[in-house]
Amino acid sequence: MYSAPFEYVRASSWPEAVDLLEGGGEDARVIAGGQSLVPMMMLRLAAPSLLVDVSAAADRSVDLVDAELVLSALVRHADIEHSEVVRGSCPMLTEAVTHIGNVRVRHRGTIGGSLAHGEPTAELATVAVAEGATVTVLGPGGERAIPAGDLFVTHFTTSLEPGEVVTAVRFPVPGGRRGSSFQEIARRAGDFALVEAAATVALDEDDRCLSVRLVVGAVSDRPVDVSQAARPLIGERIGEDAVGEVARAVAAEIEVGPHTHAGREYRRRLVSVLAGRALLTAADRAAGAVHTDHGNGARA
Amino acid sequence: MSKHEIALEVNGRPVSATVDPNMSLLELLRTEAGGLEVKLGCGEGVCGTCTVLLDGEPVNSCLTFAVQVDGRAVTTVRGLAAEGELHPLQEAFLTHAGSQCGFCTPGMLLTAKWYLDRHPRADREELRSALSGNFCRCTGYTKILDAIEAYRDARQEVSVVD
Amino acid sequence: MSTEIADRDATIVAPEQASPDASRRGAPVHHRDFVEKVAGTLPYADDWGFPGMLHGVVVRAQLPSARIVAIDTSAARAVPGVRAVLTAADVPHNGIHDEASGLGVDAIQQPVLAADRVRYDGEPVAVIAAETPGAALEAAGLVDVEYEELPGVFDPEEALRDDAPAIHAGGNRYVDWRSSIGDVDAAMRSADLVVEETYRSQRVDHAYLEPEAGIGWIDSDGVLTLRVSTQVIEHAREIAEILKLPHSRVRVIASYMGGGFGGKEDMTIEPFLALLVWRTRRPVRMVWTRQESLLARYKRHPFTMRYRTGVRRDGTIVAQDVRIVGDAGAYPLLSSRVLFAATVNATGPYRVQDARVESTAVFTNNVPTSAFRGFGAMQVVFGYESQMDRIAELLGLDPAEVRRRNFVQRGDLRVTGEPIDTGVGVGECMERVLAELGPPSRPSGPHSRIGRGFACSMQPYGRSVFFADRASAWIGLEQDGTMVIRAGVTDLGAGQAASLANIAGEILGVTVDRTSVHIGDSALTPLTGGTFATRQLYMSGNAVLKVARSLRSKLEPVAAALLECEPAQLSFEDNRVSVGDRSLTMAEVAQAAEHQGVMPYVHETFEAETGEFDRETGRGRSFPDYTHGAHAAEVEVDESTGQVRVLKYVACHDVGRAISMQRVEGQIQGAVAQGVGYALSEDVELVDGVPSSTLFAEYLIPSSVDLPDIRAIGLELHPGKGPLGARGIGEPPIGPSAPALASAIQDAVGVRLQRLPMTPERLLDALQAARGASGSVAS
Repeated sequence: MYSAPFEYVRASSWPEAVDLLEGGGEDARVIAGGQSLVPMMMLRLAAPSLLVDVSAAADRSVDLVDAELVLSALVRHADIEHSEVVRGSCPMLTEAVTHIGNVRVRHRGTIGGSLAHGEPTAELATVAVAEGATVTVLGPGGERAIPAGDLFVTHFTTSLEPGEVVTAVRFPVPGGRRGSSFQEIARRAGDFALVEAAATVALDEDDRCLSVRLVVGAVSDRPVDVSQAARPLIGERIGEDAVGEVARAVAAEIEVGPHTHAGREYRRRLVSVLAGRALLTAADRAAGAVHTDHGNGARA
Repeated sequence: MSKHEIALEVNGRPVSATVDPNMSLLELLRTEAGGLEVKLGCGEGVCGTCTVLLDGEPVNSCLTFAVQVDGRAVTTVRGLAAEGELHPLQEAFLTHAGSQCGFCTPGMLLTAKWYLDRHPRADREELRSALSGNFCRCTGYTKILDAIEAYRDARQEVSVVD
Repeated sequence: MSTEIADRDATIVAPEQASPDASRRGAPVHHRDFVEKVAGTLPYADDWGFPGMLHGVVVRAQLPSARIVAIDTSAARAVPGVRAVLTAADVPHNGIHDEASGLGVDAIQQPVLAADRVRYDGEPVAVIAAETPGAALEAAGLVDVEYEELPGVFDPEEALRDDAPAIHAGGNRYVDWRSSIGDVDAAMRSADLVVEETYRSQRVDHAYLEPEAGIGWIDSDGVLTLRVSTQVIEHAREIAEILKLPHSRVRVIASYMGGGFGGKEDMTIEPFLALLVWRTRRPVRMVWTRQESLLARYKRHPFTMRYRTGVRRDGTIVAQDVRIVGDAGAYPLLSSRVLFAATVNATGPYRVQDARVESTAVFTNNVPTSAFRGFGAMQVVFGYESQMDRIAELLGLDPAEVRRRNFVQRGDLRVTGEPIDTGVGVGECMERVLAELGPPSRPSGPHSRIGRGFACSMQPYGRSVFFADRASAWIGLEQDGTMVIRAGVTDLGAGQAASLANIAGEILGVTVDRTSVHIGDSALTPLTGGTFATRQLYMSGNAVLKVARSLRSKLEPVAAALLECEPAQLSFEDNRVSVGDRSLTMAEVAQAAEHQGVMPYVHETFEAETGEFDRETGRGRSFPDYTHGAHAAEVEVDESTGQVRVLKYVACHDVGRAISMQRVEGQIQGAVAQGVGYALSEDVELVDGVPSSTLFAEYLIPSSVDLPDIRAIGLELHPGKGPLGARGIGEPPIGPSAPALASAIQDAVGVRLQRLPMTPERLLDALQAARGASGSVAS
């Protein structure tokens, strides 16, 4: 297996990476772990003219600053998996990364690379949207922040401008009685997801829902924020019946794209099941109840 | 394509080469570094056959470009033990028939070794999970897990005696 | 561990079949190839190279049915470093001729390179050799083929219609088989109950981890030599025909394979490599990519199986009427033989006094299908075992009891009219697996249900007897007492070479570490026939056993004279020949023999039993013998998502006599893993002949977390026809998984799936349909 020829340079800082990308023209691409891009290059589905290797552009830092979890774009999936700081502040990340690929992919793949790739089944994309993350990017025009919900446009397409590179991802860490859940079903552990559902729930002292977010991943061309459909839960105690209604409504309305291994209707049914499980699990965790698992889609 | 001079360590020995950017680490190992024990199974990063350790961590050598590993250390299955000898984990694979056709074995050994070094008391289910990205089409995995557990137990006994 | 199981399970061994020293079995003496494998030093097909070798690639058609109008290779030839671009016009004899059935089915030539017509997506149209792999790939992209697309046919039933586009001149009906015994129609009328169901299996990829690979060169004597990953070195003759060379000018050397499972039984890279070597006169290496292999490498036949079974109220089968249609894809390959095996094995390990089985192999514009572990006799297990469960369900009987009432015994006739002439241990295997599952597991969540199921099977080993199969081997002692075995066996990774060392060692007392086994060289090793049909232990094992006994009988008088005893008193063990406390080293025996003019080497041929089969009547002798077994499984089904997890699995087979119990277990466990993948997830899905994916990421072989520990039990009940009473075990354990899991799923959630693979989607659809029909949720 041989990719098409390309040039390769290393950037020792983010500004240098931006300069190199700008000089490389529109076929220049950033490479960090390469776990998404390189398979496409090997199969000749991608043929960048220049690879700018950013793996030495910054540290793989994980910081908790002012109610924000700030991850360097170079933080690897395995770093997330084993970080107590992440587990304590944004457990949905910890839960989601175990679904990614295998131990090798998790050791090379980075959060910045995963988000910038724009692959619609990417677990971290779904989590970023569900947790309201902000993506910090640096480009020829300077630094800007993109809400994760605005980053993903369609298959392998993001709102990053040419010459822009993701440098960090920021996750809000709200206090209070809050719970989250990430649910995924793939035909085989580590494979591309058939359906993902990510939910966060905040409760008041009386166990009534203060806020709820629900995002469905892997069924459309990008993560789909369906929080609006969950609004009936607000002000209520979250129970199976109400959640079931929300989940069915979400499933009925969501646009489901094709998949090699499953028909649209089946995946629509899974949306309903996983959305329900994600909401109930998140609510249980918010209530601080003994962890009740409403069924985890993972085979592993 | 501009060539790049790279220098790395393969199984503790220095290797330097002049490579095109699109040469994979797998190809570098199989040509310049004489590491024919590194096998290509799928080229997608899925099967685990081409697994090597890069600075001690498992990677797909088929999805890593050689230029990316300049200055780093690579371990292949031949780096597990001294030339002409077998590592106890390799012995365990032999004793427990953890290898049939043998094509997945190098990647399987390296993943198991890496995982047990990090999690010396990993139980069978944790080991099963750690190996989920290393496919075997011959054994059904049962004897592979038998072998890895036997090695783990023998190693723990040794450390208890110490 | 394995040694304990071996001892516990070694219940009955006929005295005349018992080994001279059964207690040594399972002792940790490792054949060299296994040591090299764990060390990483075993050279596979892709690991050999020559200075200055070229790199070959195949250019493949990108549509399933078309006329080739023109091929322009000029741009490809102009790529720097390209040394050859060959098309059909460059092939001396552009046809692979193989009348596979042995019973006179019309032969249809398959072109090496498509000349005027493309019949499947991925069919080779050109081959290229270049100085670098990159140049070869670049050139491949520049071969300009002008196609005129033709209508294709992709469904076997549609292909049989009169108005279907004809894929070959003789039409799409490739071969029909028919066997019957008694009067099935009358018997069916007499039945208390007739159960009719249709079962479907899918197209499956071998997915061995070593892709197809090899290297070729012209040796110093001008012989075209290929060192390749193959199960069959005898293909040397076909390669010679293609190049119009004398057979003696082509040599095939088989490297140890990184898995084969039938997928390296037909030629893979050989003809392309041979063409490029012969044309360029340079060494050439060719390795197919995984994606290329998934696209175009021959698969397992999808079957549609209609079973009509007549039974009495007590569950006794009185009539069995089976109709099988197999999708052969675009070319014959081994389809005639696969459907033959399906036909004669379609009634399973059950008595049939009145039965009829008909089968048809049909051409379509799908990727061709051919040999795959189980070879037609595994697909039908899903049919006959599902029928047994259905019968039990409809009659309200215990499925185990229904089977007990119908199991065949030695002497019973098969649908071909031939008797089963060895002991049948299927019942013991069934009782064993039912007892082994242990207490039931608890569901892991509120949506989960636990269920259990089992299935039985009988699978032939050895080639059909009308092939008059034979295998040759040579054994010699060196002057230092070390042993050399030469046999043209190819080694799939199942320990084929190691087994020969074990068998010869049992007779001659030479240990594995003092034995060298030379295998798989069509020029230098006596030919044994390929490693397929679970025949190698039976054939080469018996050949080596025969040669070893013959050599021992030559050496015995020499040793007896020196030790002053009768030859019958001698024992050959641990590299010595001894009587009482006096002994000679093997070196001393070898030297004495040569000194006396008794050459310490022997070459002989083992001839399998033969028989006749009448294609017209479908009656006669088919396979030499069978391996029986039973599997049981426990699953957990998530009723909301349709996901199935296999929680427990036990597989038991009567292996007659285990040459190595550890390798027997390994074969059983590996076959179960493939059987579970076949049952639940694996499917080469084609849409109008085009795969929906050629990514390995999307071909779902089971990973370590998809399988539980597989408890493998080798019983030594009834001696078979292999060496020392062994029965073949390579293929038999692959059949029962699918029906055992179907049964377990039914036990869990109440629906029976009749189409493979049993995906979560199909299961959920069936559950919804069942609930819709009954108007309420069953649970």
